[in-house]
Formats: sequence, structure tokens, C-alpha cells
Amino acid sequence: MKVAMLGWEYPPFKVGGLGTHCYGLTHGLADKNVQIDFYMPKLRQKVKSDNKNIKIIEVGEPGDAIFPYDRPDDKSLGGKFFDLVHRYNSLLVARVKGNYDVVHVHDWLTMKAGVQIKENLHIPLVLTVHSTEYDRAGMLYPNQWFIDLEREGMQKADRIIAVSNYTKKIVVEKYGIPAEKITVIHNAVYPVEQEEEKKPLVLFLGRLTIQKGPEFFLKAAKKVLEYEDAKFVIAGVGDMMPKLINQAVDMGISNKVVFTGKLSEEEVQHIYKISSIYVMPSVSEPFGITALEAISAGTPTIVSRSAGVSEVLKNCFKVDFWDTDEMANKIIALLRYNPLHTAMRQSSKREVSLFTWDRVADQTLRVYRGLT
Amino acid sequence: MRLSRFSVFNIGHTEDPYATYFNHELNQKIFEKVAKKCYLPTNRLLLDLIRKTDGKFRISYSLTGTFIEYCQMFIPELLDSFKDLIKTGAVELLDETYYHSLSSLFDDLDEFEDQVKQHRQTIKKIFNYTPKSFRNTETIYDNRIAAKVADMGYQAILTEGSERILGWRSPNFVYKSQYSDIKVLMRNYKLSDDVGFRFGAKNWSGYPLTADKYARWMSNSFGDVINLFMDYETFGEHQWEDTGIFKFLEHLPREVLKHDNLEFATVTEATNKYQPVGDIDVPWAISWADEDRNVSTWLGNNMQIACFNELKDIGRMLKKNKPKDKDLLNVWRLLQTSDHLYYLSTKGFEDGTVHAYFSPYEVPYDGFINYMNILQDLKEKVNHK
Repeated sequence: MKVAMLGWEYPPFKVGGLGTHCYGLTHGLADKNVQIDFYMPKLRQKVKSDNKNIKIIEVGEPGDAIFPYDRPDDKSLGGKFFDLVHRYNSLLVARVKGNYDVVHVHDWLTMKAGVQIKENLHIPLVLTVHSTEYDRAGMLYPNQWFIDLEREGMQKADRIIAVSNYTKKIVVEKYGIPAEKITVIHNAVYPVEQEEEKKPLVLFLGRLTIQKGPEFFLKAAKKVLEYEDAKFVIAGVGDMMPKLINQAVDMGISNKVVFTGKLSEEEVQHIYKISSIYVMPSVSEPFGITALEAISAGTPTIVSRSAGVSEVLKNCFKVDFWDTDEMANKIIALLRYNPLHTAMRQSSKREVSLFTWDRVADQTLRVYRGLT
Repeated sequence: MRLSRFSVFNIGHTEDPYATYFNHELNQKIFEKVAKKCYLPTNRLLLDLIRKTDGKFRISYSLTGTFIEYCQMFIPELLDSFKDLIKTGAVELLDETYYHSLSSLFDDLDEFEDQVKQHRQTIKKIFNYTPKSFRNTETIYDNRIAAKVADMGYQAILTEGSERILGWRSPNFVYKSQYSDIKVLMRNYKLSDDVGFRFGAKNWSGYPLTADKYARWMSNSFGDVINLFMDYETFGEHQWEDTGIFKFLEHLPREVLKHDNLEFATVTEATNKYQPVGDIDVPWAISWADEDRNVSTWLGNNMQIACFNELKDIGRMLKKNKPKDKDLLNVWRLLQTSDHLYYLSTKGFEDGTVHAYFSPYEVPYDGFINYMNILQDLKEKVNHK
């Protein structure tokens, strides 16, 4: 089995969950003797493969990196970002040749190339949906240009892999794709090893965008601080940062809220390890690997019900993202009641160890085999 | 028994703990639902069977004080149907703790004794009946409990036919406590669970279980007594009517009485008729719950132990600070009902089994927060001068 996988980031150079996913998936598949050519944009530093079954093929010239998680507003719609995406897709079509059994793309960014390659090489197209325009827009004012692009990719794909039932539902209901065409494969995690001593920190980690719900985190923080002392860490960058800083000041809790800005991979690991509680209040979250990462670092976790991970993870708290009273209730309980913290920490860690890339690779391989 | 939703923000703002802590509306609804599916039809059927067999069919009941209160409050005719059953003379009542509590696991057994006495008084008052034998909450048993129950004058006590205790010995005999003068009936968990758990299971080799097959199994069993102890909710609630459970029950007495070597007996009758064949020694508590058959169902994780300790502390303070406050005492005791700790169990939670089915909470951690918050509120009340 030989697969052409079209991506845009790969560790160590990654900004989001997609790089992690591609790394885990390709290694899981490689261990099952699937050969993968992983195509990605050329960066200034060279990305090396550490597995004989995985070949990293960098396309284009090192230049401005594509930042796939942004939703450029309308002003820049015709701008540089889309030029880059367009150029990358054209280069991919020209470059991907050979004896592949399947072409596998992730999200909208390489969909156009995927469709073209499927037609050129007469091979099936597999599309993994990690997020949709509706998620990125926090369900408000989605951009029709993206939706049309995504719908076309979904229609032309031979098989769609959704990272959760939550995402499957969006693909069916918002994009009109038949449910039978979609396989749900939940994400996995590489555990964060070696715990460190916990500090009274409550962590938010993610892009500061409407999708991730950081303002609900702040509202909960305000309520918690009336009862318990703790520091609230907001790790990440994004367009909502200035607004959030002002919000913290207005609430009179700015001395208890820490904005870290952008963190390196090591810093992320460290912050997971020393935090006492991780909160993921996303408005719309296809999966939410960070919840699994936090738990693997021994951090009890509160997740939004609008997150795919809440479908499969049992040992966590689930709240509605807008229910900041309940979020605060749970944060206070975890800060106040040690036995609760210990029990959750132990059982959730045990549970998360079952979320392996080996399982994801098995399920993905079954999808490939169904098509070839 | 279900608690109300109680967040940290409610702590310290409760005016009427009894009204606030317990979800009375929901408890009533559940009670009425189960009464309709199980208690009422089963009582009716059993009364009929006793009459049809001229009292040869015999039953023992252990009804908690809380259950009797609910009957009085919500369905008095249910209480009447129990009175009718008792009048037949074929029905024995057992004593237990009034609140179905874990007080038998407290550091000293004074509270346990008080709750058993309260139960005894209630049974006397309502049914004009004085039980001679005892079953503890979920058949929790150890040497210490046996000694206390013997001290209180009971002739027999029920517990689980745990292999760890019996070893090579059969549960089908009467035993006695090694250290106290009390007879012990050990549950035949295989035959009991054939009805209680497996009756409706289509993938079970015994399926479908018919009354004549079951009677044959019992007739072929070796020993003096077969101790069938099960939840009353087996009939119509755990096993729904469409499994055929009521038909099974209806035919059972007749099928059993076809065998010369089988007859029915209540707990006290069985322990009158047969002498103990050996002693049992139980240093650590056993029960009929889960595969483990110990008390880890209620005290198996840190959350459960923390709540249990808190419960004990509150009791100590209550008896010291407000010994005359009957209402707070009742609330504290209602919070001892084993259900509250059961819901916090994380056993088998990763693979999600029995506990999840019976729990009102999405995850045991939610159950902990709710229960612990209520305990904290009660603690403030108890300490308030």
C-alpha cells in the first residue's frame, strides 16, 4: 500500500493539531508497513523523516509560511495568503506522480490539489475533516467562499474521515454529504511524559479566537476568584488577545490572569505539567487533542460539550461552553477537593493511554482497503 | 435516593436542609414508577401464590425505614399490600438499618445500633411485628458486625456466599460466626443471579430460564438450604415484564413443590430447622455488590473515602454541638444512604458497566462535587452556634 498524503505542516515545525495528527497517523501507518509520501510546503529548515516508510517531500521554495488556521477576513481574501495556497496546490498537482494507491488530504487547504490528483492518477481520494468553516467561525458568519471549496472537496472525495461524530454531523447537515460516505475516527495522543509538581494554575491553551471560547474562560475565572485563589493562564495568540486583556482589566482580575503569548513546544509541555486544571471551553471543536495532551500530563480537564473529544472521553468534566457558572463550580471543586483531583488525574490518565495512533492507523488502513 | 443539584455557590445559603438537599420531586417520581412496574404487581402476585399454595410458598423481606416512609407519603396502598402479605403468616420481616446506611463501617457501632433500633421500632409500629433475623445494607458483613448484631439479640444474619470466605465449602448450609453466637446464611450467588442478573440475557447458556428448569437445578443441588437473596426490583424493574419474569415467578412455587426434596422457608425458619455445619471468619467486610463482593463499591476510591470521612466527622460534631436537633440528625442520616457513595464509584467506569446504568450523574466526579458540596453545607450548619 502506497499513499500520497498532502499536508502543510509536520513536526517539529507546526502550529496546530494538524501537524501532530499527520505525524501520529503517518507513523502509525508506517508501522503497519504502509508507505507514505508526505508532501508539504518547503520551509527554511529542512524537515527530516525518521522512518523508512515515510518520505517527506517538500514542495516549492522556502518563503512565507502558510498559516492554515487563520481565517483571513474579506479584505485579504484575494491577497497574498490565497496566492500562496493556490501556488502550493498547483505545485502539488505538478509534483505528485507515481504508483500511489490512495491520495489522502487534510482539510480545505490541499483539497483542490487532491481532487486534481485523483483525476490525473485515477486513484481514490480520502479526505480527513479536522475542522470546517463553521467551526472556525464559531458558527457565526461563516464565509461562503470556504464553504463552497470545502463542499466541492467533500463531494469529490471517495471517502471522508471525520475526527468526531460532532464533525460528521456538520458535514452531513451543513454540507449535504451522505452519512454513509463518512467514517468517524477519533484522534489519538502522544502522552506528555514525566509529571511535575502542580501549581494552582488553571489553564486555557489555544488560539485566541471566537472558536476556542476564551472569553468564557475569563468569565468563569471571575466567578472562581470570588471563592478560591488561583492563577488563570491564557496560553496562545490570536485576534481576540487585546479584547481579552481589556476584559480581564474591566473585571478587576488582571492580576490573576496571565497571558503567555506564543509558546514553544517545550513551554507548552511544561505548562501542561504544572497546571492543576485544563479548561477547553470551545464554541465548536471538531476534536480537541489538547484535552488528551493535558490529561496525559496529569491535569484533570473540563471540556466543552461542543467538542468531539467529549464523545469518547469519559473521565473528564463536560460543560456547555456558555455555562460559566457550572464551569466555575467545577474549577472550584477541583481546586478545593484534593481527592477529586487525585481520582480524576489517575483514571483519566489511564483512559487516555488507550487513545493510540496505532488504533487510528488501523481504522484508517481499513478505509484505504475499502477503496482499493 | 437522589440529591438535588448543589453547586459550590449554594454552600452556606441553605435554609431548610431537608427540603434543599434531596430531590423530593424526582424521588417521588422514581418511587411511583418502580412501584407501578415492580412493587405493586409483585406484591399482588406473591399474595396470590401464598394463598394458592396454602402458605407453602414463603418469603422474607427486608424493607428500609426510608422505603416505608415513601410508602406512607406517596402510595399508602402499597403499605397495605405488605400488611396483607404479613397477615398470611408466610412472610417474615428482617431488620436492617433504617436508612440503608453504611453505619456498620463506622469506627464505633453506636450509630449503627441506633439506626437498627429505629428500624425495629418502625416495623413494630407499622406492622406490629418484631423481626428475629437481620440483613445489613447490601449484606455487608464482618466479624465485628456479626458480634454487634448477635449482641442485639438476633438469631441469624444474611451475607454473601463469598468463595474467599467459604473456600471449598458450599453456601447451601447454615453456618455460624466463628466469634459470636449468631447463625449465618450465605447467599447462593449463582442461583440468585441466574434470576437477578441473567434472567433476560439472551446470550446466557441458561436462557430462557423457565420455572421447571430452575426448580430442577435447585432440586439437583447439594445441601440443606439454598439462599436466594435478590433485589425486589428484579421483578419488573431490573428484569422488565417483557422478559417473562412475572410468568416465571408465577409458576415457580408449583414447580418447586413438585420436587420432594424442596420446600420454601423464611430466614428464621431455615435457621431453626438446620444446625450450623461450620464457622465463618470474616475479618474484612464482604457484601453482595459487584464482582469484588467487598465494600469497594462504596469505599473504593479517594473521593468515596473523603466523603465517608466527612460524613463521620459531621456526625461526631452533630452529636456534640447539637445533640437535640432531630431534623439535622435525620438529614445527616439520610445522607448516609449507601446510594450516595455508590454513585461516586469509578470501578469499571473506563469500560462503563453497572454503575453507570444506575447513576443519575454523567460522571462520578459530578456526583462527588454534588455530594461533597452538600456535606460542606451541612458541616457549616452543624458547626454554627
